[in-house]
Amino acid sequence: MVEFRDVSVTYSSGVDALNKVNLKINDGDFAFVVGPSGAGKSTLIKLILKEIDASTGTVLVNGFNLRKLRRKKVPALRRTIGVVFQDFRLIPTMTVYENIAFVLRVIDAPAKYIRSRVPYVISLVGLSKKAKSYPTELSGGEQQRVALARALVNDPQLIIADEPTGNIDPELSYEIVELLKGINECGTTILMVTHEHDLVRYFGGRIININKGSIQFDEVIGGSNEN
Amino acid sequence: MKISSFNYLIRQGFKGIWKNKMMTFASFCILLVSLIMVGFAILVSINLDKVIGNIEEKSEVVVVVKDDVSKDSISDLQTKIEDIPNVSDLRLYSRDEALKDMMDKMTEAQRDYFLKYVEDNPLPDVFRLKIKDIQKMNDTTAQIGTFEGVESVQSPTEFADILISFRRIFFIVAIAIVLALVLVSLIIISNTTRASVFARRKEINIMKYVGATNSFIRIPFFIEGMVVGLLASGCALLITKFAYEGVYNILTSDYKLFGVFGLNNIYSFDSMLLPVTVSYLVAGAFIGAIGTSISTGKHLKV
Repeated sequence: MVEFRDVSVTYSSGVDALNKVNLKINDGDFAFVVGPSGAGKSTLIKLILKEIDASTGTVLVNGFNLRKLRRKKVPALRRTIGVVFQDFRLIPTMTVYENIAFVLRVIDAPAKYIRSRVPYVISLVGLSKKAKSYPTELSGGEQQRVALARALVNDPQLIIADEPTGNIDPELSYEIVELLKGINECGTTILMVTHEHDLVRYFGGRIININKGSIQFDEVIGGSNEN
Repeated sequence: MKISSFNYLIRQGFKGIWKNKMMTFASFCILLVSLIMVGFAILVSINLDKVIGNIEEKSEVVVVVKDDVSKDSISDLQTKIEDIPNVSDLRLYSRDEALKDMMDKMTEAQRDYFLKYVEDNPLPDVFRLKIKDIQKMNDTTAQIGTFEGVESVQSPTEFADILISFRRIFFIVAIAIVLALVLVSLIIISNTTRASVFARRKEINIMKYVGATNSFIRIPFFIEGMVVGLLASGCALLITKFAYEGVYNILTSDYKLFGVFGLNNIYSFDSMLLPVTVSYLVAGAFIGAIGTSISTGKHLKV
C-alpha cells in the first residue's frame, strides 16, 4: 500500500516538484501514472523509493513511514519493491540468469531457493531459452522482460514500472503491459508511469494524471480492449 | 549474512581483480612503491634509534672523589651512587689503578722524569658510570654532585642534549614521513580505483534499488583492494629484504669505517623478519582495502 498525505517536495533549486499531494494506492491495485515531462512523476517514484525525502507531509509505503525511516533501513523498504526502468538497467557482464539471481543474492536468499526460483521467473516472462544469454544479445522487448523478471523475483508487494515501454517497439509495449497485468492478478500492486496514452486507453483501469506537481485526475476508466 | 552469500561476495571480489586488470595493475604498482618507501622509512628509523642508543650507552660520567676521603667513605659513596635508579655499570677507578695505567702508557724517559718530580700519587679516586636514561642525565649528575666527598662530576651533557634533540626531531620526521606516505597512497589508490568503480556505477546503482546494503556492495571492492594490497606487500617485502641485506652487508663488512658511528651494529633483516612481514601485510591489506572502499562511498548515496 502506498499513501501520500499532503506531500510537497521543493528541490534545493527552488523548484516545487509536488504540491500537497494526497494519494492512496491499495494493495492489489494497478494504476497508470500519466502526465507531461516535469509534471512530478519522477519525484513521485523517488519519494516511494526514498531516494529523496518529502519537504512536508507523510509518505507511507508497504507499512514503512518514510519520514521516520532511517537510512540504514532503506534496503529493507526497497526489498518490498520491484523496479522496472525505461532503460532496463541490466548488468551487461551478467547473463539473464545472473541478472535475476543477483537480486536474491542481495537479499541473502538460500542458494537452493535461488536455483529453483530464478528459472521459474524466467519461464514466467517466456525467456527460458535465453537464460544463458547476455543482455546485449537480446532485443529491447526481451531485455525489458528480463528487467520485469528481476523486479518480480523476490516477490515484492509493489512493482514500480517507470516508462517500461519507452524504449521498445509499440507492439511489444502491449506485451509488457499484459505481463504486468498478469503479475497484478496474482496480487502484486503495480504502479506504471507512462507517456503512452494509447496504451492507457487500450487497457484502462485507474489513471492518475499529474501536472505541475498536483494530481489533476484520479479515476478508473474502461479500456478499449474490453469492447 | 549467510556463508553462501559471503562466498559469493568473495568470488565477486576475485572476479573484479581479473575484470579490471589494468586498474588492478596500476593499484598494485602504486602500493608496491608506497610500501617499499614506508618500509624503508621505518627500517631506517628503527636502526637509527639503535645507533643513537649505542652512542648513548657509550657516553660515560666520571665522578671525581675528594683527596681526603677515606676508603670507608668511598665505599659508602659507591653505595649511595649505586642506589640511584638511573645509574648503571658503576665502577671505581682507584687512584693507584689510574697511576699504574698512566705509567704504563708513558715512555721510560717520561716515567723517570715524572718520578723525579712527583713524590705522591697526584691522581684522584674516580667513579665511572653510565646513565640509563640520557634525558635525565642532568638531574642524575646534579644529585651525585651533592653527595659528601664528591669533588666534581664530569659528564657529556652537551653531547647528550644534542642526541636527545636529534632523536626527538628524527622521531617526528619519521612519523610525518610514514603518515604522509600512507595518506598519499590512500589518495592515489582511491583515485585509481575510482575509474573502475565509476565503470561499475550502474551495477552499484541497481544493487541499491533492489535493496542491497552498503556493506554488501562494499565487500567485493574491499576484497579486491585487500588482495591487491597483500600481493603488493609480498613483493615489497622481497624487494626490501634484498635491498636491506645489501646495505647490511656493506655496513657490517668494514668495522673501521662504520664502526665509529656504531653503524655496523644495525639489526639484521632476519632478526626483524616477523614484525616486518606482519607490518607489510597489514599495511598493504589496509591501504588496499580502505583505499578501494573510499571510492565506492560516493556511488552508495542513492
